[in-house]
Amino acid sequence: MDQDFLALLLVAAVTLAGPLLIAALGELISETAGVINIQLEGMMLAGAFSGVAGALLTQNIALAFLAAIGGGLAVAALHGIACFWFRANQIVSGITLNILVLGTTTFLLVSAMGADVTQSVVRVERIAIPVLADIPVIGQALFNQNIVVYLAMLGVPLTWWMLDRTPFGLALRAAGERPEAAESLGIDVHRVRWAALAICGALAGIGGGLLTLGGLGFFTPGVTAGRGFIALAAVVFGRWRPFGALAAVLLFSVVDAFQIRAQTLGFPVPYQLLVALPYLVTIIALAGLVTRMRPPSALGVNYER
Amino acid sequence: MRILRIVQARSLAGAVLVPVAAVVLALASVAVLLMLIGADPAEAFGSMFQASLGDPHALSTTVTKAVPRLVAALGIAVAIRAGLWNIGAEGQIYMGGVAATAVVLFAPELPFPLIPLLAIAAAIIAGAAWGAIPGALRAWRGVNEVITSLMLVYVAVQISRYMLEVPWAIPGATFPSTEPFGSYARLPILVPATLLNLGAVLAVIAAIAAWYLVDRTRFGLNLRAVGGNPRASGFLGIRVKWMIFAVMAISGAFAGLAGSIEVLGVRGRLIEGFSQAYGFEAIAVALLGRLHPAGIVGAALLFGALDAGGAGLQTAARGVSSSIVQIAAGLSVGYVLVGLGIQEKFRERRRASEALADTERTHGVEAAGGSSEASR
Repeated sequence: MDQDFLALLLVAAVTLAGPLLIAALGELISETAGVINIQLEGMMLAGAFSGVAGALLTQNIALAFLAAIGGGLAVAALHGIACFWFRANQIVSGITLNILVLGTTTFLLVSAMGADVTQSVVRVERIAIPVLADIPVIGQALFNQNIVVYLAMLGVPLTWWMLDRTPFGLALRAAGERPEAAESLGIDVHRVRWAALAICGALAGIGGGLLTLGGLGFFTPGVTAGRGFIALAAVVFGRWRPFGALAAVLLFSVVDAFQIRAQTLGFPVPYQLLVALPYLVTIIALAGLVTRMRPPSALGVNYER
Repeated sequence: MRILRIVQARSLAGAVLVPVAAVVLALASVAVLLMLIGADPAEAFGSMFQASLGDPHALSTTVTKAVPRLVAALGIAVAIRAGLWNIGAEGQIYMGGVAATAVVLFAPELPFPLIPLLAIAAAIIAGAAWGAIPGALRAWRGVNEVITSLMLVYVAVQISRYMLEVPWAIPGATFPSTEPFGSYARLPILVPATLLNLGAVLAVIAAIAAWYLVDRTRFGLNLRAVGGNPRASGFLGIRVKWMIFAVMAISGAFAGLAGSIEVLGVRGRLIEGFSQAYGFEAIAVALLGRLHPAGIVGAALLFGALDAGGAGLQTAARGVSSSIVQIAAGLSVGYVLVGLGIQEKFRERRRASEALADTERTHGVEAAGGSSEASR
């Protein structure tokens, strides 16, 4: 019974962690280069929407995820245009884009697509890895997931390697720490930041797509319900390190999975307060456990030649 | 400093021309969107006009829909002028609504102005408390207020749902809400046969109070100093941490007031989802109004008219109205950002060419290279 509870909890936690982790890795890459995306939520929402729309139009899961990437990229492009071309404050641009994406996706859902998008669509299938999936407790959680979740898991060491061991990673860090110095070394700060922003948009789009195409199978207005902000918090709580972000995402997901299990098991706690739990844990984690935070020096500061 | 330079008006053109042009462009974009879904934009705008400004009742709908966005935006603007981002006004609105309802439900029936007064006071305190949490975390723990104030929105919404579904639940009701309040507890209607209630007057008072507080008091001077340069303000003897805490609390107090006006004046009861993203749209209202109470009143009336008008759309399906407000809000602030960027580039180019002309006049053409220094 206890082992069962734990195994089911972990399955739910890893499933919930997938979209958060992908978006958090994107945001980590972008923040490393000095670009903050308050509209991470909007990028995920756009990906969640366009993923479902793509699935409805093509009935093909790969094309649906391509559409999700497109949705995230579109929001990233608007952020880049506002901040890099028109020197808008990154936080103002991000807040504005969140409102715009929420309105646009709701509008398209209600008026252009009718009730279609709330229909269930093709979903990405789980692939059980032989033998490993049979490991007690953790087997189902880690080795019976869909391909996107597997890629997200691989993305953590990959992001670490990219940031710490490649010239591109060095350019990203330089653009985020000392853009003037980077420019004097021949690094094109604007191009590097565009690249980081595009990676973030694509990944957040996939994260949003995974939310609808991997789990729910349909789209509702505001379906991301603050997950983009939790991913933002995970980057901070993970101290701008890939494995830190993973740990933060897992913490939030385990709490979220626990509150869902607690609801179904009928814990003597009102479900409304359980639903609020992951958000409270995020606040407490940021307030209590972060001892020394050091964001990239030029985070949120536009570079002007 | 950078925040203020981007969002606060420095010239008449920046204060009026850019936002007005941005709004016109945003409305044109909405017209294109309406065309894309097969609506005739002229007809659509006609019916939107009729439903928002066409007669006294429509006009009162516009004002009523503007009020919560306006009051919450005042608080958001106060925070931004201190360099703080209160993204969580939506949650503070909910806490204000819940606190006001608690007073109405638990206090005895008293002669008219007493219960609304007490309820509004409770709402202001609740909103202030909900805003003070991210303020305190920012001041003493260094935690970014953007994330924490937003996380608290979800917590507040769940608290409101809990109150409506458990202690205040009406057995057998299909939608979570309290019983309608007695007239002794409501904000009275000002003009018969319209929706215009006392909340509109309170909103105007709030706007004047916000202006006075920020632009005419010692506290406001310190607040603006903290927004301009926190380090230097510290050296000037301003207690920056307390300032951050106080400003976030004040910001939340405005949102709490907005929540009580919506509950006591418009709905006449607490109802699930009574704030439909008003607190989020209020951020756009504050930015579009360029952080000035007068501008905020204008921007809030615009969004109120769009909301009221959207409900009058012939083709309106459920939810179109609020999404049109959000699209128009997002687009108009977006266009403002673009407009300001263009303005800044022109200003720089002019300054650079003036400096160049200056140098040429005094030192001859050879020294023109020095102009790059003067340009920034």
